[in-house]
Amino acid sequence: MGFSTDAIHAGQEPERATGALITPIFMTTTYAQEELGINKGYEYGRRDNLTRAALEKNIAVLENGKYGIAFSSGLAAISAVIHLVKAGEHVIVTDNVYGGTYRLFEKIMTGFNLQFSWVDVSSLENVSSAIKENTRMVYIETPSNPTLNITDIRSTAELCKKNNLICAVDNTFMSPYFQKPLNMNADIVVHSSTKYLNGHSDVIGGIVITNDKDTNKKLKFIQNAVGAVPSPFDCWLTLRSTKTLALRMKQHNENAVQIADFLKNQNYVKHVYYPGLKSHPGYELAKKQMTGFGGIISVDFGEEETARRFIKKCKIFTLAESLGGVESLMSHPATMSHASVPPERREKMGITNSLIRLSVGIEDIEDLLGDIDQAVQ
Amino acid sequence: MKKNDESKSIKIDETKYSMDTQIIYGKNISKKWDYSHHVTAPISSSTTFRLDSVERGAQGFQQFANTEQFGESSPIFIYDRLGEPNKDLLEENLAYVEKGEMALTFATGMGAISAVLGVLTSAGDEIICHNTLYGCTISLFDNWYPKYNIKVHYIDLTDTENIRELVNENTRVIYFESPANPNLDIIDIKSVAKLVAGLNSGREVNRKISVVIDNTFSTPFCQRPIELGADFVVHSLTKGIGGFGTDMGGAVIGKKKYKDLLLLYRKDFGAVLNPKSAWGILTYGLPSLSLRQRQQTNTAMRIADYLSGHPKVEYVNYPGLKSYKFYDIAKTQMIDFDGNFAPGSMIYFSLKGKTPAECKENGRKFMDYIAGSVYTMTLAVSLGHTRTLIEHPASMTHSVVPPEQLKDRGLDPGGVRLSIGLENPDDLLMDLEEALQNINS
Ligand SMILES: Cc1ncc(COP(=O)(O)O)c(C=O)c1O
Ligand SMILES: Cc1ncc(COP(=O)(O)O)c(C=O)c1O
Repeated sequence: MGFSTDAIHAGQEPERATGALITPIFMTTTYAQEELGINKGYEYGRRDNLTRAALEKNIAVLENGKYGIAFSSGLAAISAVIHLVKAGEHVIVTDNVYGGTYRLFEKIMTGFNLQFSWVDVSSLENVSSAIKENTRMVYIETPSNPTLNITDIRSTAELCKKNNLICAVDNTFMSPYFQKPLNMNADIVVHSSTKYLNGHSDVIGGIVITNDKDTNKKLKFIQNAVGAVPSPFDCWLTLRSTKTLALRMKQHNENAVQIADFLKNQNYVKHVYYPGLKSHPGYELAKKQMTGFGGIISVDFGEEETARRFIKKCKIFTLAESLGGVESLMSHPATMSHASVPPERREKMGITNSLIRLSVGIEDIEDLLGDIDQAVQ
Repeated sequence: MKKNDESKSIKIDETKYSMDTQIIYGKNISKKWDYSHHVTAPISSSTTFRLDSVERGAQGFQQFANTEQFGESSPIFIYDRLGEPNKDLLEENLAYVEKGEMALTFATGMGAISAVLGVLTSAGDEIICHNTLYGCTISLFDNWYPKYNIKVHYIDLTDTENIRELVNENTRVIYFESPANPNLDIIDIKSVAKLVAGLNSGREVNRKISVVIDNTFSTPFCQRPIELGADFVVHSLTKGIGGFGTDMGGAVIGKKKYKDLLLLYRKDFGAVLNPKSAWGILTYGLPSLSLRQRQQTNTAMRIADYLSGHPKVEYVNYPGLKSYKFYDIAKTQMIDFDGNFAPGSMIYFSLKGKTPAECKENGRKFMDYIAGSVYTMTLAVSLGHTRTLIEHPASMTHSVVPPEQLKDRGLDPGGVRLSIGLENPDDLLMDLEEALQNINS
């Protein structure tokens, strides 16, 4: 089936009892059991919920995966993934991973004796040489946040297979509409569904997708044992959202391409990071493994003063954390999403004080360009 | 895993249980929907329903609003406006709790009131109602019914015999609230029902008079008019039954034989209750009704006592006060599920002043002080909320009544309406005292 057909139908057969076309919000914490040991396969709301199950199936299909395991936030999903690694084991991570992932791994998981190497994974040799005896997982994010570095998923996954490592990919920025890591042999895909999957800035959520039966079993166990599950209402809202994922992604992409094109020619801009620009070092690879370039653009204005003025004067772009919603947002990574990254590391990653990340929404492009234009006048 | 289709619980006779219990369980267990497995019902959230075949679709439309012929054991759901499970679940429980044969929900209380009167009357018919009613009901009667050529007579129903003076062969409905909004007039329900039964004895079926009562102020916890002989009860579920102030809703409860007409009316006029609102009322409104109403009634009794002894208060209307002129009749008909006197959570009072204008001005100062400086009371319309709400009917809920007609509608220009919430009564008393201190009369 085509992507939009799956988005609208997968996991969402009409409800059996009534024929209701849209999955009900199954608001129950517990299920009546018929006799000791006899039930309908559902026992308790933390372990099973029918609305959640519909969402898990839906997004799994969109990622071309067999299993979906939903969580209460993107970070809860990421923390479930990292729970697959045991004390004493080692993980190789993209050095410009999302700041919250960095904080989770470095500030919390190291306390449980997990080891991390922060590596520029856009070069496969760097990954190769970081592999140690106890390495268990390679964790990548592509395009990365906020400078949109592209990592070759297929060759990283191949390297992982050879070395018997788990290859996990955070696919939040592209959504399955533009990139399907499982098709390129990754083992695990994670999402902050807060972003494009839900897309309306009204639900915090996360999901993990895999094709591996054993990994699914472990993740389901973690989901229930750790307990960071999403509410049925949030699952229902996210299901509403995935139906328009294709439409939204197309528009995010179209708008972002035009804005990146516009910005790259302005003399007040020092650098534009966008994988759809030919000047971007990952352009060719992006074209190979993604079917679009997405809605995130980072702009370095060269001077902090210009960046601050831009933020102050924008009327449609709102200064706010997060991304992937229908409305255009901008953020200042150095003081916001990546504030927990030490300054030296930030500098190395290109996260200067004059860098602004734009999450381009689906407003009319004329209005967005007009907003940018008036903000820099 | 063994699947158990024959839910053994279907045979349970729920009527042998107390009402507190029944409103928690209702008929979640039914052949109509298989939610027996879910301890809390799912929120139905589909505008439309899949039909297996054209034939089944046709069957669904044929059976809709034809419960007399087809029964209602297994409805074919078609489209939300026609019916869906959350509303049906709520309607069953509302029918139990009001001791009616059936209940039908509507988008709002006004949706319910206009629907029941819509099916009971035609052009040329007449309604006799009590002088004092909720403002929008007055507006419905005064602004719209002339257009449909339905005549409405306002009379003092606290004396039941007054009906005889106005009743004629076109009379179709006796309509009132008891306690009335906002002045808490009490009407003897049994006596109205008895008088109407007498008038009906010689009438043809389609010319009979129905007694319709808006029971919003009492909630079924405090009073069940159908047991006292009323034909229909209407509710604003927005109020005490919903109880948390989160959702609008309305209901008509009454005889089964009117269900089909009401279903058709609801379908065509369109005031359907949102399933998400129905779910809330079903899941936390009704099950906590007894707890809330009991607590609110106890608090209201204390507050009414306090106010009636306060030197700055002119009078207090509260059915639980021995000094109230309708105390005796209230005591016979406002009875909770366990048989105790339950005078409700609404209080109406006026502050003292040398002239009516000064009474009103003192009331305004008092309410403005509360609006600006007090923690436990909120100046807002609506009632039956977790929070104590205070308002000035003459300028808010009943502003439809022109000043020169206030007296006819039983309204005091300075009257203050208080809807007691779930706060600690000591805190309410403290804040009331502070607010009363701050008016210098
Ligand atoms: C790429 C990426 N992964 C994960 C997360 C964390 O997701 P959440 O905020 O839903 O926990 C974010 C949030 O900004 C993100 O941008
Ligand atoms: C006694 C009474 N009946 C009916 C209504 C109307 O209900 P709704 O606002 O739900 O339409 C109200 C509202 O205040 C009321 O107080």
